Amino acid sequence: MATILVVDDEFGIGELLEALLQDDGHRVLTAMNGRHAQERIAEARPDLVISDLMMPVMDGATLLKALRESSDLRDIPFVVMCALPENAISDRISGYDAFLRKPFKLAAISALVRSLLKQE
Amino acid sequence: MTETTGTGDPGPLASAPLAESLGQRLPSGIGGLDTLLCGGFVRHGITIIHGAPGAGKTILSNQICYAHAAAGGRALYVTLLSEQHDRLLANLAQLSFFDQSRVAREISYVSAFRLLERDGLAGLLTLLRREIVAHGASILVLDGLVAAEAYATTELELKKFIHELQMLAGAADCTMFLLTSAGHMDDSGDQRPEHTMVDAIIALRQTPYAWRVERDIHIRKFRGSNHLRGRHAMQITSDGVMVWPRTEALPVASPPPTQASATRISCGIAGLDKMLGGGLPEFSSTVVLGPTGAGKTGMALHFLAQSTPQAPGLMVSFYEAPDHLLARAGGFAPQFAQRAADGVIRFAWHGEAEGLIDRIAGELLEDVRRRGVRRVVIDGLLGFEGLTLPPERMPRFFRALMGQLRALGVTTLCTMEVPQVAGTTHRAPLDSLTPIAENLILLRHVERAGRLERNVSVMKLRGSAFDSTLRAFEIGPGGIVLVTAFGSIDDVPPRSPGDAAGG
Repeated sequence: MATILVVDDEFGIGELLEALLQDDGHRVLTAMNGRHAQERIAEARPDLVISDLMMPVMDGATLLKALRESSDLRDIPFVVMCALPENAISDRISGYDAFLRKPFKLAAISALVRSLLKQE
Repeated sequence: MTETTGTGDPGPLASAPLAESLGQRLPSGIGGLDTLLCGGFVRHGITIIHGAPGAGKTILSNQICYAHAAAGGRALYVTLLSEQHDRLLANLAQLSFFDQSRVAREISYVSAFRLLERDGLAGLLTLLRREIVAHGASILVLDGLVAAEAYATTELELKKFIHELQMLAGAADCTMFLLTSAGHMDDSGDQRPEHTMVDAIIALRQTPYAWRVERDIHIRKFRGSNHLRGRHAMQITSDGVMVWPRTEALPVASPPPTQASATRISCGIAGLDKMLGGGLPEFSSTVVLGPTGAGKTGMALHFLAQSTPQAPGLMVSFYEAPDHLLARAGGFAPQFAQRAADGVIRFAWHGEAEGLIDRIAGELLEDVRRRGVRRVVIDGLLGFEGLTLPPERMPRFFRALMGQLRALGVTTLCTMEVPQVAGTTHRAPLDSLTPIAENLILLRHVERAGRLERNVSVMKLRGSAFDSTLRAFEIGPGGIVLVTAFGSIDDVPPRSPGDAAGG
């Protein structure tokens, strides 16, 4: 069982991912923006972060940058979620491990998480 | 770097542009309904199917499931305090689309009411998600949304439930249908909270017209997509739901041929062709107006007898059965029966007292497209009158039908009976013939020299000069033969301005 942090400001996404990943046997934490995510990480280090890109208070790119600059947290795999195609966001974010295009497939999430955790 | 997405067929890690995703359609499998939806439902969207009990929600949604399964998909049908499954399946078994071999394989029926009762909307949502994944369902039907609504303590809670369903639809690539009878679907503005959230709303209705009751279907909302607006005819038969788009709402299939086509085609009567300056203008519509027994159907059969394998013909009739018409035509056109046997000439007989005009028109247009028909006869135009509900649709219906036929390259001849049996004046039974009759031919019985004589005159010919002489004609074993013009002006029956056909 892994601990996965899901960060999204949109109602429903977090709930859906939480339910799905719990069904797969994982412990799921949720946060509604990057700042909130940092607070959750301070409480419990996740094995994987799945984060939306565009959020209020602190966006996903800033959260990722902060994690990569932290010597303790830089190794946490980070998945970026976005409704735009990857080539539309590649100039504003870098250093992530996987890109998840919305709307996503349930089966794709499970496979992606398994793949990233296995690499760990 | 890994990329994954919720759309696109090639596999779990494939991607597709958002616009493309929204443009993907899921056909209903019901021809007329897919025409209304301009191709089908928006894939992984949510559609509410609304209707009072008996409106056809269950049959329609099951028909969509079975069509989807036949195309290789999988469907999950979840009931909430609606019909028991054994009774539901027994009823479906009487319909031709039902395929028992698909039950519990491609199509699964699940009851969720007890779980809803115990765990509320959150429990229902969990069950739906798990069952969709377990069955690999690409269609979900939730039959009995009204029961789910009863478990929402606030309007907001119901909206949250719908919102989470939307997330699930996208994530699971599952197109969802919610069946409900709650609320009214009239134009009173009675909008329920869930109506604002879903992608499409389809309303099924039954409307009484005196002793008759007709079904209709109305796409009330179809987010971000074209559709045919308004109400359209629907039937439930042993084949399930049939939808007949309102003829007036159909887009014209192709640019109509030029109005000024100089080509003339024979009406099959040499003398009349001469009066018409060589025949009827191609792609035009003609009304042959006259009292009973005046020779209208005979004239129509002459026109139809000119059909060839390259230019097939179709006769839509309301009063005379095909075998009777064949026998009549055989007298003057020996090739008629053979061409009918070969499928060059086809009859569409509508003897029923309670048919649907949009079904007749839809089947007519389908046959025209399929066989490349170039000559159409509608024998007894007023046969449509008794079937038209509401009656005020008639002029627009005819205009639309003639427009469709013209656009498909058809030359049309319609017969229309007038009530006067004999005499010199006739009043057209329709307010205006203009939308239908580019050409108008009048047949009359006239007393002359102690006997009733038939005569014909051309009253109108689209954009062309014509011979306006009144001519007598006879109907013999060889069909219609024009015999002579009246000898002098004194022989011509008097005619009062405005008392002939309108238009």
